[in-house]
Amino acid sequence: MSGRALALVLDPMRATRRGALAWALSIGALVVVTVAFWPAFEGTTNLGDLIDQLPPGIIEAFGLQGFGTPAGYLRGNLYDVLVPLLLGWASIAFANGLTAAEEDAGRLEVVLAQPVSRGAAFAGRALAVLAWTALLTVSVAAFQLLSDVPFGLEIAADRLLVTVVLCGLLGALHGGLALAVAGLMPRPPVVLGIGLGVLIGGFVVAALFPLSDQLRPWAGLSPWDWALGSDPLLNGAEPWRFAALGIPAAALAIVGLVAFTRRDVRAA
Amino acid sequence: MPTMAGVPASALSTAAVPAAIVAVDGLVKDYGAVHAVRGISFAVRRNEILGFLGPNGAGKTTTIRCLLDLLRPTAGRVEVFGLDTGRDGVAIRARLTYLPGELRLPERQTAAELVAGLGRLRGGFDPVRREELAARLELDLARPMRNLSSGNRRKVALLLAFLWPVELLVLDEPTGGLDPLMQREFLRLVREARARGATILLSSHVLSEVQRVADRVVVLRAGLVVADGTVDELRRRVSQRVEVWFSGTAPAAALDTVPGLADRESEGRRFTATLTGPIGPLLRVLAAHDVESMLIEEPDLEEAVLGLYEEAAP
Repeated sequence: MSGRALALVLDPMRATRRGALAWALSIGALVVVTVAFWPAFEGTTNLGDLIDQLPPGIIEAFGLQGFGTPAGYLRGNLYDVLVPLLLGWASIAFANGLTAAEEDAGRLEVVLAQPVSRGAAFAGRALAVLAWTALLTVSVAAFQLLSDVPFGLEIAADRLLVTVVLCGLLGALHGGLALAVAGLMPRPPVVLGIGLGVLIGGFVVAALFPLSDQLRPWAGLSPWDWALGSDPLLNGAEPWRFAALGIPAAALAIVGLVAFTRRDVRAA
Repeated sequence: MPTMAGVPASALSTAAVPAAIVAVDGLVKDYGAVHAVRGISFAVRRNEILGFLGPNGAGKTTTIRCLLDLLRPTAGRVEVFGLDTGRDGVAIRARLTYLPGELRLPERQTAAELVAGLGRLRGGFDPVRREELAARLELDLARPMRNLSSGNRRKVALLLAFLWPVELLVLDEPTGGLDPLMQREFLRLVREARARGATILLSSHVLSEVQRVADRVVVLRAGLVVADGTVDELRRRVSQRVEVWFSGTAPAAALDTVPGLADRESEGRRFTATLTGPIGPLLRVLAAHDVESMLIEEPDLEEAVLGLYEEAAP
């Protein structure tokens, strides 16, 4: 990679490093605090009994099955909703901040007035989004693995890593969607609105559609179902789930890139 | 360690580049139903300073953004260095610098960091030149943008425009927010750039500034070119006020024959009028009479341009 190409990736990453650090520490703190409460839950039957009294659909929708086991505890508290939601949100925010928001503010024009192609500038920023999402995912895994031992939470590391990677890919998919929207129209509220709308909508589809006989067959349309439908903390995941998230993420980023090279750059 | 990038000054005067550094031919740019630029044609010749004038919304910035391939023309052709802006944008932008009118710089970065970042995209920069420009512009390179006044931000943009020894400088409202001393320094930088062989497209509202450095001006109004010529040619389009005192009664009948005279008033020995066009016919008539004193006001570019703005209103 040439120095110029490297600068197109690393400079946007440098510009967003504070935000990325804040995301990493926030999600990391959530993971550590959650794990820190495990010893208090372990072995208590009261909460398990309470959850067992909930309707089965609600238990399933919010991942509360087996809440008294390490896998059930982590799934219900972190990996069924919060971690995938936050990784998706972060990836959308990175994509919006490095493309639509920069263009809307007129700062992208300073870069595009240099001897770089539009496609290279956009690709550099897309790679920066991917890199930050990947690094956030790694930090989540690191916080989880490092806090499991001192708090006595025993869970298979391979299943945990598979789950975290699937959550990261789910985030990357939504980052790719945000890049596609930003490539088509440089309006930050639209990029955030569509990105977060699809993220939350996907959760609703995956969590609530199975409660309805009529809607249950459509739950498989949600990327959340592709990522977490196999209950990876317990069962691992089939390879197609990684491809189903990663390939559309890349395709959506390419859609954004092509669209960006074909339209006018917005003036400040 | 940064390295020197761009084109050596000695190479700028070679005949490898076409005479017209910028060639705009029938450029049309529409934003939906809004016709921002309506079929304009003009050229910027090698090593000239072209003043690009027009009221707000005339289409100046839209045209400039088409030169940089930030906007895609609805119709027409734009060539820079003989290259197509849509196809050869990277090669074109390697040979020019651009100072945008609406200046938005990264708030957290210092000027030094910004220069370094853009230097990475341009293959380096000359640190000695950077320090020299910072000293001339009295700019602290270590302060973050968010702590800089609008004038100091403008200095950062000027530093970026003049840092690389490029062949073409595209300057859109470059002196907004600068104090008079800095405006003078800016004009020195422009003249120095031209002296080393560069071509300058200077879009400005400050007509005195254009008048002082531009070889030629192109005036836009409502998306159309309404004037294209030298500053002197443009000046000649505006009326000059003429006042003549004769030894005897003003020769009104003889003065009536002078072309271009209007608003004539004779009052005893005093004659006043406005003159449009060449002054020769008037001087020939006056030479045949006994003139005591004469006052001809210098035509002002500002008046000429303002006149053009008004007369060309759609």
